[in-house]
Amino acid sequence: MTEILHVRDVTVRFGGVYAVQNVDLRINNGELIGFIGPNGAGKTTLMRVITGIVQPQSGRVFLQGVDITDKATHLRIRAGLALAQQIVQPLRALTLLDNVAIACGSDKTRHALKSMWVTDIRSERAQARELLARVGLSHVVDELPGTMPLGYLKRLEVARALALNPRLLLLDEPLAGLSQKEAASLADLIATLNADGQTILLIEHNLREVMRICPTLYVQDNGKSLAFGKTDQVMSDPNVRNAYLGVGHA
Amino acid sequence: MLYLELFIQGLVQGSIYALIALGLTLVYGLLRILHVAHAALFTLGGYIGVIVTNATGSFTLAMVVAMLVVGLAGMLMYKLAYEPLLSQPPYVSLIASIALFIASEEIFRIAFGPYGLSYQTAPLQGHIELFSGFYLKYAEILVMGLSTILMIALAWLSMQTRTGVAWRATVTDPDMARAFGVKIQNVRYLNFFIGSSFAAAAGVLVALLNNLVEPTMGSVASYKALAIIVLGGLGSIRGTLIASLLLGVLESFGTIYIGHLLDRDAIAFAFLILVLMIRPQGLMGGKL
Amino acid sequence: MSYEITLMTTMAISVLFALSLNFITGFCGQISLGHAAFLGAGAYTSAMLSKADVPFLFTIPAAAICAAMLGAIIGLASLRVRHDFLAITTMGVGFLFVGIIRQQDFFGGEIGIAGIPSSGFGKGGFMLICIALALTFAAFSLYVRRSWMGFVFKSIADNEDVTRVLGIDVSRYKLIAFIIGTGTAGVAGALYAHHFRFVGPDSFGFVESISVLAMVIVGGIGSVWGVIFAAALLSVLPMLVQFIDDYKLLFYSGLLFAMMRFSPDGIAGLCTRLFSSIPRRVPDNGGNNR
Repeated sequence: MTEILHVRDVTVRFGGVYAVQNVDLRINNGELIGFIGPNGAGKTTLMRVITGIVQPQSGRVFLQGVDITDKATHLRIRAGLALAQQIVQPLRALTLLDNVAIACGSDKTRHALKSMWVTDIRSERAQARELLARVGLSHVVDELPGTMPLGYLKRLEVARALALNPRLLLLDEPLAGLSQKEAASLADLIATLNADGQTILLIEHNLREVMRICPTLYVQDNGKSLAFGKTDQVMSDPNVRNAYLGVGHA
Repeated sequence: MLYLELFIQGLVQGSIYALIALGLTLVYGLLRILHVAHAALFTLGGYIGVIVTNATGSFTLAMVVAMLVVGLAGMLMYKLAYEPLLSQPPYVSLIASIALFIASEEIFRIAFGPYGLSYQTAPLQGHIELFSGFYLKYAEILVMGLSTILMIALAWLSMQTRTGVAWRATVTDPDMARAFGVKIQNVRYLNFFIGSSFAAAAGVLVALLNNLVEPTMGSVASYKALAIIVLGGLGSIRGTLIASLLLGVLESFGTIYIGHLLDRDAIAFAFLILVLMIRPQGLMGGKL
Repeated sequence: MSYEITLMTTMAISVLFALSLNFITGFCGQISLGHAAFLGAGAYTSAMLSKADVPFLFTIPAAAICAAMLGAIIGLASLRVRHDFLAITTMGVGFLFVGIIRQQDFFGGEIGIAGIPSSGFGKGGFMLICIALALTFAAFSLYVRRSWMGFVFKSIADNEDVTRVLGIDVSRYKLIAFIIGTGTAGVAGALYAHHFRFVGPDSFGFVESISVLAMVIVGGIGSVWGVIFAAALLSVLPMLVQFIDDYKLLFYSGLLFAMMRFSPDGIAGLCTRLFSSIPRRVPDNGGNNR
């Protein structure tokens, strides 16, 4: 198995507080890893370290063996990352189709000056149509995001991330705010994507769905790695139970 | 001796900037609006100060009336101009604010003439000699004294009263404050009242220092106040106060030493651009 | 005839200037409150070269390069700052420009530069040059809108952070928009200098920056046709109606405020809403997170 992501000994401090402390995480090709932890565990911070929005005080981040710690966000995306954000952020002036098409055109937008001479968008739109169909949105491709329900926008966010053709897909709480039924169906979709070969790191609060679809779990608490391994083993780990349920609950 | 004189002049100017910029910071902190029309309220304060002083002979009364009337005018401006635009993208309220400001300059010009008004007998024009050859006008002492008192009063209000606590809570986290039963609407009104009345005080004081109010007196002060709140790190009150005094002093020295390269009003922006290149988040601003 | 020619020339220069700002503000979503500084940079370059006997046509590219270089420097310094900061730094640039010009005898100081030689093409010929340049840039704008660059601009104007997460080098795109926009303002400046045959510091101050912004916004931010219409109209209205000339600023600012209050997407948006046969649901969460 080839290694896709390696977070090596990363520490982030805000003021005097450790948000993430000496964390190590490895993700191999084809894996679907559920990343869980109580509120304030530093999940979002670690995600931001991976995407480059937060710079760690120490430690490195490798993507496919290449050190990306000092690279700007857009270059990390070009190197094979894609992110579906927790708070949906569609481009509101663009149709759903164009929201995805612009991500499909990453070859055409790589060089700013060259992009001026290209006008053809047909192949990107065709590709976007397929991706939207894949996430179950083929019936609303020409709508504007402002009129869409949250469940659709969450799927749009996933489709747009997939359009970048990433080696590693980062999903930041995609199920948050969805009804149980919607959450289950989006979780099914995530499992299907993984079955098709997509490597995924899934940050999620919805333990039920995470335990259902993720073969591997990574748990973080108070900024420290707590456990990493097979889902059932991790969930029976007393440390994890303590962190999650509080002492004396079990 | 020249240094000390320049320094004190800088502090006087800086106190005025602080009074003006404070209202801008309050509005930005709460609503994320760059409130350019704030300067119109500053000018209005100056006009009311001169007119009331000339009519009644009482400068104190003029100051109180100016602060009250302009405070209310500020609340009215929020209600009529900004509130309907809150759901629009930020540039909409910015441009509306600029339009409001330019329109008000024109209205002052049309209503009171292009050459402005002066005090019939300007109060507080005497001076004391601090030490040999170094004079300080009463008006200048008043500027520094009154702005210090107002700032302390504001600090007391925000730290020691229930209203102040609600206010700070709203600035930090509006949703949470609402959940605790704070009436956001009232906080916004209070915000505009205080910010505007401080600007009015600054207007009256500037009128006193120059013995003149004119339609355009707000323009330079306004743009500079914007530069100041950016320097201070948008929304930080402490940063704004420090940036105000710093800029006042810097300008005071700059006019003497680099005045042949840049005029006084450009110094602020040269400084601003320089600071932003080194610290994009402003002097005191937190993380982006 | 001469009066009509003056009118048309003024219109064409305003249209070119407004479209240059539209490229930055309308296409790419970057508010600039100091655009008159770049008009000024072009005007001064062209004026001084003309006085040194450089032919008019050669001063145009020089003015463009000079303004674009200034734009590039400002862009590099200010495009990385937070969104709200940009409006203020560009405004600062406007004040700096006037502040520097005013103190330097080299640029004619307070008095400015008078007696700029004529373009050498006659009034009619000069008008045609102005119109041709304005139309060329309008066509270029319409083309860019349709290109991938325009697509990315639209995305940046919509949400910069999302665009970055799509792997796009946002700063580079913004810088290009800034350079093209300021360079074109420089061209408009060269025309301005040879139209009025005089340049002075007061012609490129904050009020001019706001006037051109008013044209872009009244026309409908981003809409090429709307901006052309608004720039043509607003530039000559004060010349045609004496009442408006007397209260020019009050009129402009009142119009601008009314636009923001009742139709923030300008005349273009107004037309779309009036003539659109399919009633579109207006998203009510446009200013999300407030």
